[in-house]
Amino acid sequence: MILFVVILALLGAGVVAWASERVLGKDAPRLVSLLAFGAGLVWSAAVWLDGADANGLYAAMDWPWIARFGIHLTLEMDGLSLLMVALTMFLGIVAVVSSWDEIESAQGFFQFNILWVMAGVVGVFTAMDLLLFFFFWEVMLIPMYLLIAIWGHEEKAYASMKFFLFTQISGLLMLFAILALVFVHHGATGEITFSYKALLGAEIDPRIATWLMLGFFVAFATKLPSVPVHTWLPDAHTQAPTAGSVILAGILLKTGAYGIIRFAVPLFPEASADFAVWAMLLGTVSILYGGAMAFSQSDFKRLVAYSSIAHMGFILLGVYAFNELGMQGAIVTMVAHGFSTAALFMMAGAIQQRLHTREMSQMGGLWKHAPRMGTMTLFFVIASVGMPGLGNFVGEFLALLGAFQENWVMAAVATLGIVVAAVYGLYLMQRSFQGTPNPDVASMRDFGLREMSVMAAMMAGLVWVGVYPQHVLELSSATIQTLGVLP
Amino acid sequence: MLEYLWLVPALPLVGFFVLFVTEGKLPDKLVGVIGAGSVGLAALVALGAGAEFVQSGEGSYAQSLWIWMAVGNFTPSITLYLDPLSLVMTGVITGVGFLIHLFATGYMWKDHEEPEGLSRFFAYMNLFVFAMLMLVLGDNLLVLFLGWEGVGLCSYLLIGFYHRDPENGYAARKAFVVTRVGDTLMAIGLFLLFRELGTLDIQTALGDTGQLDPGMATAIGLLLLGGAVGKSAQVPLQTWLPDAMAGPTPVSALIHAATMVTAGVYLIARMKGIYELAPVAQFAVAIVGLVTLLISSFTALTQTDIKRILAYSTMSQIGYMFMALGVGAWSAGIFHLMTHAFFKALLFLASGSVILALHHEQDIHKMGGLWRKLPVPFASMLIGSLALVALPLTSGFYSKDAILLTAWEHDTGRWFWAGGVLAAFMTALYTTRMMVVAFFGETKTEPDDASRINMWGPLVVLCVLSIAGGWMGIGVLDGLLGPLGEFSHTDPVAVTTVALPIFGVLLGWLVFSGRLDLSTLVASSFGDALRRFWQSGWAFDWVYDRLFVKPFLWVARVNKRDIVDLVFRITASVTRGFHHVGALTQTGRLRWYAANMAIGLIVVFLIVASV
Repeated sequence: MILFVVILALLGAGVVAWASERVLGKDAPRLVSLLAFGAGLVWSAAVWLDGADANGLYAAMDWPWIARFGIHLTLEMDGLSLLMVALTMFLGIVAVVSSWDEIESAQGFFQFNILWVMAGVVGVFTAMDLLLFFFFWEVMLIPMYLLIAIWGHEEKAYASMKFFLFTQISGLLMLFAILALVFVHHGATGEITFSYKALLGAEIDPRIATWLMLGFFVAFATKLPSVPVHTWLPDAHTQAPTAGSVILAGILLKTGAYGIIRFAVPLFPEASADFAVWAMLLGTVSILYGGAMAFSQSDFKRLVAYSSIAHMGFILLGVYAFNELGMQGAIVTMVAHGFSTAALFMMAGAIQQRLHTREMSQMGGLWKHAPRMGTMTLFFVIASVGMPGLGNFVGEFLALLGAFQENWVMAAVATLGIVVAAVYGLYLMQRSFQGTPNPDVASMRDFGLREMSVMAAMMAGLVWVGVYPQHVLELSSATIQTLGVLP
Repeated sequence: MLEYLWLVPALPLVGFFVLFVTEGKLPDKLVGVIGAGSVGLAALVALGAGAEFVQSGEGSYAQSLWIWMAVGNFTPSITLYLDPLSLVMTGVITGVGFLIHLFATGYMWKDHEEPEGLSRFFAYMNLFVFAMLMLVLGDNLLVLFLGWEGVGLCSYLLIGFYHRDPENGYAARKAFVVTRVGDTLMAIGLFLLFRELGTLDIQTALGDTGQLDPGMATAIGLLLLGGAVGKSAQVPLQTWLPDAMAGPTPVSALIHAATMVTAGVYLIARMKGIYELAPVAQFAVAIVGLVTLLISSFTALTQTDIKRILAYSTMSQIGYMFMALGVGAWSAGIFHLMTHAFFKALLFLASGSVILALHHEQDIHKMGGLWRKLPVPFASMLIGSLALVALPLTSGFYSKDAILLTAWEHDTGRWFWAGGVLAAFMTALYTTRMMVVAFFGETKTEPDDASRINMWGPLVVLCVLSIAGGWMGIGVLDGLLGPLGEFSHTDPVAVTTVALPIFGVLLGWLVFSGRLDLSTLVASSFGDALRRFWQSGWAFDWVYDRLFVKPFLWVARVNKRDIVDLVFRITASVTRGFHHVGALTQTGRLRWYAANMAIGLIVVFLIVASV
């Protein structure tokens, strides 16, 4: 019940934000958003402190929706869902703050879209009915498309269309797979249901199972994204307004990872196990190829975008290792990457707002003007390079350690990714903030209290996950056990 | 005091944190007090804890802080582990570290690019000391790895401290990336160790080595050696160290001479149990050491930058340490690590005083005649050099002698001894060259000495340690990792070992003060080619550039637009093509539509008729 209210509240807040622009003026919408996400974060914390019930759930509801087809409004929040929902709320705040004074037109509608994307995301993370899940999957898509298409940069039309087509076509495959799964289950039991729990143990002909699994996998791998279906990401991230990039990289990519962990693998455990080596290969290729591509970029934001592909490779590697280490590594990576990459996109947005360019050839030596921004960039670059003591290291190390137990060759090759990460990460730092100060940049406003407080929160998050990841591990551990895919 | 062991790494961390959070707004004096003071306090705590540890007579002391992460049976804990080995390392890090920090309060006083530079410098330095302490105190390989990566990070930050010069940035990134290649091997070694033994706790793992297959032990030993080679600048991952001299000189003294670059030696000594199971891996350690010490001592002879001479000298001295571990002279290797930390820190700090007095002139050919004008730095350089050359009674003598004489007894023949002695001769030669050219002859640059007590104080202390550290160390280090060994100093081998460096000094004096003219030999085409080959560091950079850097840059350049996207771009173009062709048919002319309709009907009619 409460989950339904939370999702409705985010949707409602979107409407209020939109309306408030006319009633209260231009500054109102962002405050509404901030308040909504702030309340959401407090609520997540309260739920966490309250503890789970006997079934390991923090909140649950189950209402019939289209009863004759066995479609229910089933929302449940276990440890993993709670973790992701809390991250969603937190990144909502980051997104709003990062675009605080960036948006000049239609601020109300802008915040409306942000709130609706996030409502969809919360739905995705809690839906336990396949059709409901698909519904929320689509709810995320449209507002995100609008965010890029309306408030994006110079090539927004191309980028938003590309984003839409990739997501929509791969989503269609998932819809086919969902329907086919339901029919197969119906054929075997005579019961029509979209319930996740009911379908979990469905007995499916192995050949069909492979195809259905691929339907899910392609949709999630596109969202994640994995090479070779990653090419929407650099365009979408680069062209999106800062808040859009923060949401995309921080949380939308994780819906892909979440989908694999929650649906693709548990619904088709045998088919997934047979497919594991290919998925790990895709992960390894993504790590190395994404890293190499990041290095070849000259656009600050595009570089960070490609680096996400590399980091998401660790998730594929970890999940398909089929052991607890790998799975936990993937989940910690989801959280840590949410912080580190959101911060870097916020930085990219802040630089673009100040210098009106993302080209690193137009930067150089910015430390002189903005030592705070320099220090923050350095910190988050170091985090994403995988420095022990910060969250990303815990995730990537566990993912590699888990993968090594299963397939040592793949893990060893993937470990080379940490060298590549150092190459592009430090090069980013060099070309933007270090080096000879660019004479064309006369001055640049440094971060103030507003930006620094968000940055400090993200730094604290990364140190927390990096030094004492137990809170995250405990939350996800319960979920991993219930998925029943580990030996 | 032992229960306050955690304070040793915590104090520098607090120093870092305070300097980081205050963003350089503290007055410079306070920055110096926090920066040097936190390390000084850590040294005091370490001293107290160490004294109590030695008195207790226990073999080791462990202090568990918390479980870092717990996933299934993988539960690495953050535990500080004190035994004689980590005690020696902690002593060196905090003791020598404090002296270098103190020196740096003088050296860096005006020597930074931004107003907050001093604060940033000491923040990085404190973070380094913290990470280095975690490296040596961590009882788990994952905690060691935290320190390992942490020192690498600080090394990067401090090499590139003067970040406005892009070349410094390049040197910094090179150091980080090259050592990370080694770190990757080390990480794989950790994965393998965990797979085989199910733990990364060092003491647990070393206790379980009985379960280890010898082949696996060799693999793990070699992978860990890969990490050690990167961090300790040994062949083939040595190329970053000379460029790392771009950092401020106190950084070179602390990180690139006394502490971080010896981390590899520590790692191998710490994992002794693995190497004893894997003779092949241990032999590889010795070979790496031998090759490095020969290559770098020849290279040092041809360098003109005083810091680069010292850098190559560091590489070769660490080569001795690797060779020592490889031939089984475990204690001697750590002994040399300690004495080297004293005299090499001294040499770097003294050269730093010279460089500062000459307004950042580092070319020894532009120095000359400084012995009268800079007496304290000169005396320090001299004492450091004597110890580096390992003349009798200096600290370097005791440790190097122990290594070489153990090598003589090694069962694979006398090659290690011969190589070591040859390199000792080369060491004498290049050190004499450096001293003669820089401090004697005519004055080429007028010095301007402004050093104060916080700069020459540490020099004096290090001078004492460089001389006395040897016989003081024998008592401490004998039996650290096995006996140091008893050596006769009268048989021909021992006499040769001692005599060759002295001969080197004499020959060096004759040649470089111009009393023995070798210019025709040096100027010959062969001599010149050889000199240039040595000067380039045996062309390693050249080869790596062509083998790795250029191909990577080429791929990055040609694939900037992402070849995978081509598939989707072509799909889009084809679709758009159909759109255009289709659009062409919409002309708005009735005649055109009518004609089309007629043709279509005829075609349909023909098809139907033909069936």
